[in-house]
Amino acid sequence: MTWKYPSCILKGDHSVGEFYSVAVTNNAQQADTGTKMIHLGKNTHSTIISKGISAGNSHNSYRGLVQIMPSAANARNFSQCDSLLMTDTSGAHTFPYVEVKNPTAQIEHEATTSKIGEDQIFYCLQRGIDAEQAISLIVNGYAKEVLNQLPMEFAVEAQKLLSISLEGSVG
Amino acid sequence: MLKINELKASVEEASILKGLNLTINPGEVHAIMGPNGSGKSTLASVLAGREEYEIEGGSVDFDGADLLDMDATERARAGLFLAFQYPVEIPGVSNINFMRAAVNGKREHEGLEPIKGKAFLDMVKEKAQLVDLDGRLRNRSVNEGFSGGEKKRNEIFQMAMLEPKLAILDETDSGLDIDALRIVSEGVNAMRSPERSFLVITHYQRLLDYIVPDFVHVLVDGRIVRSGDKELALELEEKGYDWIKEDIVA
Repeated sequence: MTWKYPSCILKGDHSVGEFYSVAVTNNAQQADTGTKMIHLGKNTHSTIISKGISAGNSHNSYRGLVQIMPSAANARNFSQCDSLLMTDTSGAHTFPYVEVKNPTAQIEHEATTSKIGEDQIFYCLQRGIDAEQAISLIVNGYAKEVLNQLPMEFAVEAQKLLSISLEGSVG
Repeated sequence: MLKINELKASVEEASILKGLNLTINPGEVHAIMGPNGSGKSTLASVLAGREEYEIEGGSVDFDGADLLDMDATERARAGLFLAFQYPVEIPGVSNINFMRAAVNGKREHEGLEPIKGKAFLDMVKEKAQLVDLDGRLRNRSVNEGFSGGEKKRNEIFQMAMLEPKLAILDETDSGLDIDALRIVSEGVNAMRSPERSFLVITHYQRLLDYIVPDFVHVLVDGRIVRSGDKELALELEEKGYDWIKEDIVA
């Protein structure tokens, strides 16, 4: 079981908080991760992009709090939580918490869940790409929005890590 | 090149192909026509190695190897290409990176090193011209947000990149307007060669005005019931499939 909620307190006026996350779970893992964005200052902005990938029999939960305090006039938040299921026996859950105590706030939340498509995998196979690589391509494509935010060297590491974590998880 | 002998296949216990025979020699273009549900697309899927289909009998020889013994990746690397009726979108994976993985897969099979960056880009440029695929489409995610015509052009672009021995075009004409049909057909015609064979699956004679086949076969209820040259396609267009069906009964 993994809990992890790295958070931002946006105290200064005009301060900005960004949270980008890719969480992979495999086998019997249970992860419950996300962030807290606590808006105190005026005109504070926060962005949350969370991509969950669930393989094996694992469950991957996003749990995030967006809190707009009374002092935070004109605060804005955009949250996007996408989940990708690799198998029929894995699960994805999204728990967004929003507390707004200032009426000028603008909050947006988007969430999607998709299953890795057999059609997508077959399309890759038919082009001569093997199954492991096909999964790696599709999953990395899915996580690209987040990986693109990373420094180059780290992004390369992250891609490899993603492939290794999912090795043999073709379902 | 391809020799299909008494091929029987089913999906979810419904038998679709019921003893299909077809031989395609190098350089030949064969067209398969038939009414809806006759097994045209099943044939394409079975040849490409989709796992949902159960092979219940028969054999398929592809360039001297037992095709049914190979998995989908091996078949592709051995030179079998399927242009999909409904090309799939893969978000976040650029067309270029996708093709690089495909080209390198084939090169690995041939015992070659992965292709160098410059050589690859030159190849992309050259092949993209065949079907007017502009730079914007090359760099976008695979098929994502492409129009129907752009998807089909992308299929032919991929075919040109992979230079297959046998290309199967599964209803490539469906959803194409006349201009896109012309571009796609010109791309295919430019790739005709004495070593390369085509299996063109279509519902309408229209495509065969552009891609002129050497042989036309009519598939009804999982079997080829009539074979001929391109005149057969014209006759079908005029008389409809019922004419053939009645013919078989009689």
